[in-house]
Amino acid sequence: MMAASFDRSEAPVPGPIRRFDFPRVTESRMANGLDLRIVRAARFPIVTAMLILDAGEWAVDSTQAGLAVLAGDALEGGTARRSATELAEALEGIGAGLGVTTGWDATTVAVSCLAERLGEALALMAEVVLEPTFPAEEFDRVRDQRLAAIQQRAMNPSTVAGDHAARFIHADGVPFGRPVAGTEETIEPLSGDDARSWLGERYCPGGSGLVIVGDIDGGELETLVEGCFGAWSGTVEPSDPVAVTPRHERRRVEIVHRPGAVQSEIRMGHVGVSKVTPDYFSLLVYNTILGGSFTSRLNLNLREKHGFTYGVRSHFGFRRNAGPFGISMAVETAVTADAVREAMFEVETLVNDGASADEVDAARDYIVGIFPLRLETTSQLASRVGELIIYGLPDDYHATYRDRLRAVTQKETTEAGRRHVRPEEMSIVVVGDADEIRAPLEALELGPVEVHELA
Amino acid sequence: MAVLSIPVERYELDNGLRVSLSVDKTTPVVAVNLWYGVGSRNEREGRTGFAHLFEHMMFQGSEHVAKNRHFELVERAGGSLNASTWFDRTNYFETVPSHHLELALWLESDRMGWMLPAMTQEKLDNQRDVVMNERRQRYDNQPYGDWDEYMQAMVFPDTHPYHHTVIGSMDDIAAATLEDIGDFFETFYIPNNAVLTVCGDFDPESALGLVERYFGEIPRGEDLPPLPGDPTLEPSIGRTVREVVEAEVPLTRVYMAARVPPYTDEGFYAAEVAASVLGTGRASRLYRSLVRDRRIAKDVVTFAFPLTTGSSMFMLWATGLPSVTPDELETALDEELQDLVTVSEEEVARAVAMTETQFVRGVEQVGDRADMLSMFDRYFDDPARLNSEVDRLRAVSPGDLKLFTEAFLGTDNRAVLAYVPKGAA
Repeated sequence: MMAASFDRSEAPVPGPIRRFDFPRVTESRMANGLDLRIVRAARFPIVTAMLILDAGEWAVDSTQAGLAVLAGDALEGGTARRSATELAEALEGIGAGLGVTTGWDATTVAVSCLAERLGEALALMAEVVLEPTFPAEEFDRVRDQRLAAIQQRAMNPSTVAGDHAARFIHADGVPFGRPVAGTEETIEPLSGDDARSWLGERYCPGGSGLVIVGDIDGGELETLVEGCFGAWSGTVEPSDPVAVTPRHERRRVEIVHRPGAVQSEIRMGHVGVSKVTPDYFSLLVYNTILGGSFTSRLNLNLREKHGFTYGVRSHFGFRRNAGPFGISMAVETAVTADAVREAMFEVETLVNDGASADEVDAARDYIVGIFPLRLETTSQLASRVGELIIYGLPDDYHATYRDRLRAVTQKETTEAGRRHVRPEEMSIVVVGDADEIRAPLEALELGPVEVHELA
Repeated sequence: MAVLSIPVERYELDNGLRVSLSVDKTTPVVAVNLWYGVGSRNEREGRTGFAHLFEHMMFQGSEHVAKNRHFELVERAGGSLNASTWFDRTNYFETVPSHHLELALWLESDRMGWMLPAMTQEKLDNQRDVVMNERRQRYDNQPYGDWDEYMQAMVFPDTHPYHHTVIGSMDDIAAATLEDIGDFFETFYIPNNAVLTVCGDFDPESALGLVERYFGEIPRGEDLPPLPGDPTLEPSIGRTVREVVEAEVPLTRVYMAARVPPYTDEGFYAAEVAASVLGTGRASRLYRSLVRDRRIAKDVVTFAFPLTTGSSMFMLWATGLPSVTPDELETALDEELQDLVTVSEEEVARAVAMTETQFVRGVEQVGDRADMLSMFDRYFDDPARLNSEVDRLRAVSPGDLKLFTEAFLGTDNRAVLAYVPKGAA
């Protein structure tokens, strides 16, 4: 073997750290209430404009579940001035892709284009949001596509597991218990009128924000935005609060039977915590240690030690309201119970014994260091600034983000974990071959085991 | 005016390692990216999937870096890292806060020069299990997950190195030995079969010194052996090859593929623009026709694979709405392919505009940019070609697309693969 000419066994000492500042955000509020935030980032001649609407699926009544998502999808159906095809041609003719994303907390309409095209792109974005017509033919088509997508979800083991876990974790009536895009029963009867009335309530400048990031000149921009969005009016009424309550108080195992499955898709979780919890930063550190990084306890055990899975992750679904905490992995059928046992062991050990000082240091360094890596593109920056609007976070949130992480202690990490991770309350959902996995899972004696047929 | 002007300085070490340095001090982060000229095309019979399994083993430590240490050090530095294996190459990359550049160079050089002493049977057994689970998760337990196994076998003859997939077969993955690891490393993981790109916030002079220090003493390897099998190909399949698969899928889906000129050939630009005219955006032909007007498809996807050996592969698929038959989908796709000869200036301009925006967005992050620079270095011996790539796409005319369509998108050069829900046929 080749000898090295110098001692290679010590990791190099890092150079002097270079300062990173979150780019300056210029904030203003238009007369109609629209919250405007502008960030100049001029490395490439490109711009992202992102409209954040207080129109998340959480606010949709359960009888119309999926309406927010479907209304967002159906925006492509045309405007008072343009048919669906003319609209697509106008946007794509200037190289602008328009994307609509609807989650539990917001609908975001985003467009990215070359900077020289921003004026045209912004005008088209305003047209899409302010003047959509939802022609019946287009609305029905988009709804049929959603219905087909629901059929696809029902045959994909990973989405089946996610959807069942959401249902088993949450009590009836909690929006998070249903699929975010709704079900066949709730989507089928929806019409353009439903979309129009949803937009009337929720697509309003008061409560919404517009984030523009890129190679732009701030001075002219306000005039441009005023021209596009100035005539818009209205304010979103706050929706009634709904408590996020669990379906079960005690741990249970729910098997969703998929005969002949070569793998089991596993989800283990319970009701989690809101994005605006004071424990947020401690939980970021905690989750990194448990299952939020490659070198997390879960991944090193289940993947790198046992080879049970291609990868395992844990995740807090931080939302305005308490989103779920959960662990997810796909494992070979034969080792299903072993994988659940090992995952439960890691969760319980971390809760009981707490995190070590070194783990807390490493996790903190990781999240602090990785922060600027995820702020390189105009759309990454726009999403980050958009979070301030969605969650009502303070203006200095990003400027102080890394300091607040660095301040998290070992004790705070362990205590936050004990408050928000509760192994004895987990729903353990396994989509796999019940004939193979039921007995070994029962032998773990984690709680009642129930087998459900795949719908 | 060119939309991109990314600076690149190019060097070559005495051992043959090509080095590109591209400075950008916008954000204090730096990407290190390595392309090795080895992929699934280099796998011998009985060892399909080996290049990818080997890639996993590259994360199992090296002589001076213990198992898991590689990931621990990069994550602790606040970096991200990964690797991927493809037909023609394997890439390894990390993005780290810029003061940790030396760490990334140390780790990459240690596994390029000193990987083998750290290899053990236990690590190989572990990663074989991980890769088999990757295959189960992404191919076997996934609706339509095995489409590329069918498609590659239909488009490329069994003597051609693209006939088999990157993930390989379960049996072949299981058969891999430590001796295979040693042979593969000695043959392909050599500085003269690699390009290294550093992109982001760094001082070029000191970076070049560090590259020389860490990589300079790794000895040049022997010239590469010829590709297994027969890499030469007729430019066309010569007929329509078809296969129908009854599987656990929710909706009928039809895939179509054709042999097209390789990525390194001038003719490939027309393939890229054709893919965009057909399938990028909601004004594209397939979306407009199959999804919007005729309402037979839930989604349509097109792409031109950037492959270099003999031919590349032009791909499209349409997922049918419930009750739509594979024949209906195939007929509709066929009509659109034939009709591409009528493409207008306006459509080409739109496709190029969309591609241009995507291209600029695709280099915003130093990690993606480094990967593109490595690619242009590896395939064209010219990383700076990245800056003029959009101009070459812009030069494609409707006349070029007509010629491309006539030459490559006919029924004499086509593979058709239909997935049908079990019990519905």
